[in-house]
Amino acid sequence: MTALLLGALGLTLSLVVPGLLAGARWPGRAPVAAVLLWQALTLTSVLCALGVVLAAPEELTRAAGANHPWTVAALLFSLAVAATIVIRLLISLIRVSARARARRERHRILVDLLDRVERRREVGGAEVRVLDGALPLAYCVPGREPRVVLSDAVLRVLDRAQVDAVLAHERAHLRHRHELVMESFTAFYQAVPPPLRSRAPLDAVHLLLEMVSDDAARRRVGPEPLRAALARLSDAVPLAEETPHDPAGDARRRRLDRLAAPAPNSAGLSVVAGVAAAGLFVLPTVILVVPWLGQALDAWPFRSL
Amino acid sequence: MALGDLEREVMTQLWDARDPLTVRQVHELLSANRDLAYTTVMTVLDRLAKKKLVVQQRADRAYRYAPAQTREEMTAGLMLDALSATPDRDAALAYFLGQLPPGAIQAALQATPKET
Repeated sequence: MTALLLGALGLTLSLVVPGLLAGARWPGRAPVAAVLLWQALTLTSVLCALGVVLAAPEELTRAAGANHPWTVAALLFSLAVAATIVIRLLISLIRVSARARARRERHRILVDLLDRVERRREVGGAEVRVLDGALPLAYCVPGREPRVVLSDAVLRVLDRAQVDAVLAHERAHLRHRHELVMESFTAFYQAVPPPLRSRAPLDAVHLLLEMVSDDAARRRVGPEPLRAALARLSDAVPLAEETPHDPAGDARRRRLDRLAAPAPNSAGLSVVAGVAAAGLFVLPTVILVVPWLGQALDAWPFRSL
Repeated sequence: MALGDLEREVMTQLWDARDPLTVRQVHELLSANRDLAYTTVMTVLDRLAKKKLVVQQRADRAYRYAPAQTREEMTAGLMLDALSATPDRDAALAYFLGQLPPGAIQAALQATPKET
């Protein structure tokens, strides 16, 4: 019974809820809590998968008797499956963060070399680097020596206040260590076998983190320069709008809409989503796994050996 | 002076030069208005060569150094890498605008006038 319940919960959390959450509009009003909810959702579905794998042979044990050879085989098999899930996740996490670190390191070296010092001094900020080029580009390179990279085109298209808004946005990414959140979701995405994986959490969390940084920048410089910077830079990128159903374009529109609203965030919604995240995380552990654990210890097949 | 700043200045000299430069030439260009050890320049060029950012050529009895790519090539390559989206690379950098469709990046880079 436990295995069935956990399985149902796991399937609901990994197949039904992400679609609902990705389509919902309210996360835009409580982005931090919504990121927590996504994290709880992902972690809980992993716990459910592990729970199913470990609970199933225990139930078989009770049905067939502890000394039945099939029971031992099933237990060993399920332990192997559980170990595979955990190891796969860990390997994916190590690989994603190692690759990201190498790529960031390379970017840091190259932007330091290509930096136009004269232009950077106009902008201010020890971690800012300015690249040549007519393509408007603003990004940050997280790490122990972080960098905020702007292209020359950004400085030409935006005025001083708008540049400050972009810098405040990127510095919020760096300060809040958003890259660690993205790395963990990317690692999870890659650990799931291709037919089952979904980009929905990855894209949703990415947009939410942009909103969190938008909010931080907004507190520092006000919504207007940030909104103007976002709109101007989108306009300045050639061809980007011609792609139909461009997800990045849709994300930009949602960010612009939020910045147009007077105060998009709702404290009540944040509390509700935060409590939901905590509840979700605790739910399978407390209600399903703990009582099962008590029974399982009694029915442990090796005990009678 | 930080090593990073010196590396950038050495690269700038190599990019601005028409031909590959010897260590002595780079040293002369950089030490015009400051005190800089010849061996420091040699170390910096060696480090840049190890990172495959400059190529070392043996001519006569001296090594000559040239940038592996022009400044424009390197900038374009870096931007392309920064903007191109593939699932496993998303986590490395954070962008202000979000990522662009690959076609748009190529078109934009080709449209970039080779200036400066």
